[in-house]
Amino acid sequence: MAILSTTNLKKIYGNGENAVHALDGVTLSIEPGEFTAIIGTSGSGKSTLLHMLGGLDRPTSGSVTVDGKDIFSLKDEALTIFRRRKIGFVFQNYNLVPVLNVYENIVLPIQLDGNEPDAAYIDNIIETLGLSEKLSNLPNNLSGGQQQRVAIARAIASKPAIILADEPTGNLDSKTSQDVLGLLKLTSKKFSQTIVMITHNEEIAQLADRIIRIEDGKIVTRENM
Amino acid sequence: MRVANRKCIYRLAFKNLQAAKLRNLITVLAVALTTILFTTLFTIALSMVENFQQSNFRQVGTYAHGIFKELTKEQFDELKDDPLIKEWGLRRIAGLATDDVFNKSQVEVSYMDENYAKFGFTTPAVGHLPEEGTNQAATDLKLLSLLGVEPELGNEFTVTIDVDGTETTETFTLCGYWEYDEVTVANHIVMAESRLDEILEKCNNQNRNGRTGSYQLNVMFRNASSIENDLKTVLKKHGFQNDEVGKDNYIKLGINWGYVGAQLFDSIDFSVILGIIVVVILIIFTGYLIIYNIFQISVAGDIRHYGLLKTIGTTGKQIKKIVRIQSLLLSGIGIPIGLLLGYGTGVLLAPVVIGAVSNNDSIYYASVSANPAIFIGAALFSVITVLISCRKPSKMAGKVSPIEALRYTESDSLSKKRKVKKVSRKGISIFSMAFANMGRNRKKTFVTVLSMSLSIVLFTLTVILSNGFSMEKYLSNMISTDFIVADASYFNVRMHWGDRTPVSDDIVALLENMDGITGAGKTYGEADFFVYDFIEEDYIRSGHLSRYYSAEDIEHYISSMPREGNQILNEIDIYGMDEFCLDELKVWDGDISRLKTEENVIAAVYFEDDYGNMEDWTNWAKVGDTVKIRYSRETEYYDTQTGEIYEADNLDSLPATASISKRPKEGTFKDMEYEVAAVVSIPTSLNYRFYANEQFVLNSEQFIRDTGTSVPMYYTFDMVDDEAVKQDMEHFMADYTNNVDPSLDYESRYTYAGEFESFRNMFLLMGSILSFIVGLIGILNFLNAVLTGIITRHREFAMLQSIGMTGKQLKKMLVLEGLYYTLGSVVISFILAVTISPSAANVVENMFWFFEYHFMITPLFITVPIFTLLGILLPLISYRFLAKKSIVERLRETE
Repeated sequence: MAILSTTNLKKIYGNGENAVHALDGVTLSIEPGEFTAIIGTSGSGKSTLLHMLGGLDRPTSGSVTVDGKDIFSLKDEALTIFRRRKIGFVFQNYNLVPVLNVYENIVLPIQLDGNEPDAAYIDNIIETLGLSEKLSNLPNNLSGGQQQRVAIARAIASKPAIILADEPTGNLDSKTSQDVLGLLKLTSKKFSQTIVMITHNEEIAQLADRIIRIEDGKIVTRENM
Repeated sequence: MRVANRKCIYRLAFKNLQAAKLRNLITVLAVALTTILFTTLFTIALSMVENFQQSNFRQVGTYAHGIFKELTKEQFDELKDDPLIKEWGLRRIAGLATDDVFNKSQVEVSYMDENYAKFGFTTPAVGHLPEEGTNQAATDLKLLSLLGVEPELGNEFTVTIDVDGTETTETFTLCGYWEYDEVTVANHIVMAESRLDEILEKCNNQNRNGRTGSYQLNVMFRNASSIENDLKTVLKKHGFQNDEVGKDNYIKLGINWGYVGAQLFDSIDFSVILGIIVVVILIIFTGYLIIYNIFQISVAGDIRHYGLLKTIGTTGKQIKKIVRIQSLLLSGIGIPIGLLLGYGTGVLLAPVVIGAVSNNDSIYYASVSANPAIFIGAALFSVITVLISCRKPSKMAGKVSPIEALRYTESDSLSKKRKVKKVSRKGISIFSMAFANMGRNRKKTFVTVLSMSLSIVLFTLTVILSNGFSMEKYLSNMISTDFIVADASYFNVRMHWGDRTPVSDDIVALLENMDGITGAGKTYGEADFFVYDFIEEDYIRSGHLSRYYSAEDIEHYISSMPREGNQILNEIDIYGMDEFCLDELKVWDGDISRLKTEENVIAAVYFEDDYGNMEDWTNWAKVGDTVKIRYSRETEYYDTQTGEIYEADNLDSLPATASISKRPKEGTFKDMEYEVAAVVSIPTSLNYRFYANEQFVLNSEQFIRDTGTSVPMYYTFDMVDDEAVKQDMEHFMADYTNNVDPSLDYESRYTYAGEFESFRNMFLLMGSILSFIVGLIGILNFLNAVLTGIITRHREFAMLQSIGMTGKQLKKMLVLEGLYYTLGSVVISFILAVTISPSAANVVENMFWFFEYHFMITPLFITVPIFTLLGILLPLISYRFLAKKSIVERLRETE
């Protein structure tokens, strides 16, 4: 059964003559453990799609089902709580909390949920991502690649159903990009996570199990690697 | 090299401003509040100065800078057109009115021109000055009422005038009148010059006293900075002089002492000036805290923008200028608003403050100053405050390195300092996150907390200090009995019972028959006689005179004093007291009861300072000493060198070099000797209310017998301890002295309690208003800190929400941040209040003897709920700004 699926998802900004169809009837389904890349040029609607998948934005019509739950049937507050349990985000610009150290950043979503982090599991993640030495550093003292690794650790820490990554390597040089992506893929396998990644970079997209190409708010091709 | 880039810099500054509307509003408010404080302060201070000067002018009787006295017509014509003189007025006196109804007033009958009347506050409010060739005259309402003439133009009134020794009775037609001013010494009747000449001729005026008919020229110069010099320069230019009295070309001068600056500082306490300076510094500091904070925060927020400007070639200097121009543009809006509102506040407060500060009647409140200096000064101080405040932020903006700026986040400064501590696996909570957020911009947090604390501390100090003014202490020093009644002049600080009018028998008889009085007595004062004691020369050298005069002056004085053998006759003041009054004396040494039982015993009076310490230089006599006193009905003037005796009338005509002194007249005196039974102090409310000579107390019988006079100075009494009875008496006295016999006046515990209350209330009012405005500034600062904290973090919050922070958790975090500010302010306020208040109390204790320090923490706790509420509400309100935009919108925003 698909862990994530959408049905005829539409997002329209403005109305009448000026209406912009950011998403124009997207239907897709992603299986557990899959690493999917969504690729498209800027303005193609790929970021809007990711925001919909993560429940950050509500669609004009259509639905998103995560782990069997239609997420837009939830109210804002409940949606937020659902999100922190089921979805991990990795952003292009890392989006770490500058006043919190690495460890605090990683366990933040768990503690926001009022839970105690699973120490062994967290240690394992930290180990895997090579962050053991950096735990008490503040984000500003880390390199871009290190910061993105912290973001990945944070996304995985709460054992979400899926990880949504929005241009995770957009701010990194190509060598670091390869490293980070390798780690992302490794951890997803190791912790059996489902990953949906947005990118405009063909080369990066090639690392995914599956590529969905999107143009003008519509899916144009689906290819399995 | 100068580049024509002004326009560009201004445009940049202006565009930057447009981008931050809310911040501008807060800045404008901050500048306006600061300006309000300055304007209010300056309005009050200048009103005080001007009213003080005005009071002096009214006492002097004119605001003219100076006067040339007793001129002939030729001298007058010669001097009046001197170019140094900006304006002049002329007056010629016919004489004083001698009618019986005027026996308590000095009524001067003269001709005045329009200017003289204007300078002297005698321009008719109704009607006009007399016209030449008529028998019109203008005068004041009190004089008309004394004459029993209705104040209607055209009514006739008649007065008798002493013109150079000849009495003449004249009738005038009323052509104008004005309100009588209680402060001025004299009443005036103003007639036409033609009428004056007629009267002078009729009375065959010889001008024997130099004044009758002569020309008095009142002058105004360009300014009051060197009146004496200006007067003498004018004389010199026209061949006159003021140095040698006997010579032909001598002309008498008068300088309006109301203009003398030193007088002001004598009367308005140094403490007041110190207070003003402290408040000015406080306002600058308050203004600095908020304006600095706003610009500091905004520069920190816009740092990437400034980095960008630098990248494209804007110099540090230009960036500094951009920041400065922004601040000045905003001041341009804030300052006028502040000036307007501040003046309004000043107008409301000035009368209250002046009323309370001048409790010794040195200032009569008339009007609030509208001196342009208030506005110029307040605006200037505000601009200075603004410029000081944005100095550092503009430097910070100017110094920014383009590369650093791009990497800059608010917590930059902190990351370098924070120690790498051992990793705690405890992670974080909303509490610790909120706390960590306080450290993002430590400067901002500190300044905001300090700014909020300032008002709490001020308010706490205000309450502590105003509560410290002890009514009991005040009353015990000011008044020792429940009521004192006497002729009004006894209570008037300028007259010191000068006309020696006894308290009327009627009121004493009335009071003696009233219920509720538990004890009463009279004190007899000196009238119609002169008293001397016999002392050694050396005492003069070490006594009270030595505190005020140089050794040289004292030797001169000693040489001019009347002597008997090797002793000097020294004028003293004595009292004759009933037993009731004797019981009120404070006894330092000896036994005061001997005055009630024995004959020929006396008490020596020593004065106390405000704190109740005996001032031992105020008398010489000790218990057991013998005091020899000479009572004299008359005195005579004599030349200390030649021994020649002069008539008192001729003294004016003597050469200034003559060494004239006064002594008891042979055959009119008797001597008495007394033993000093006690050394005492008389409560201020029961003494002559001035100190000029050594003072002694006799019991009333002895006083009446030895002086041969019995003029009671006052009647004083205590009442049963029943508020209602005392209230009734208070009403009776107020009514009697206002309506039945206005020449009487009284003082009571209530009068003083009222005076005390008005002083304390003024203090509380001023302090509260100051705390309130400073508090507003603190809250504004807080709002700004919270708002900018939320605005600059809007992306971060979006991210937090995207990884699962709920709106509720976010609000909780923001409220916690707000509460940390409150907590910080309360803690700092507490520390400041505890450390500052003892020394502040010390200063106040030195200024006001009736102050007693008690530390209080209650006012601090009163402010806690207010600031707690603000700590919760402000973040919640600010959050609404944030919540307007969706998470995705905020996430997408890239600065």
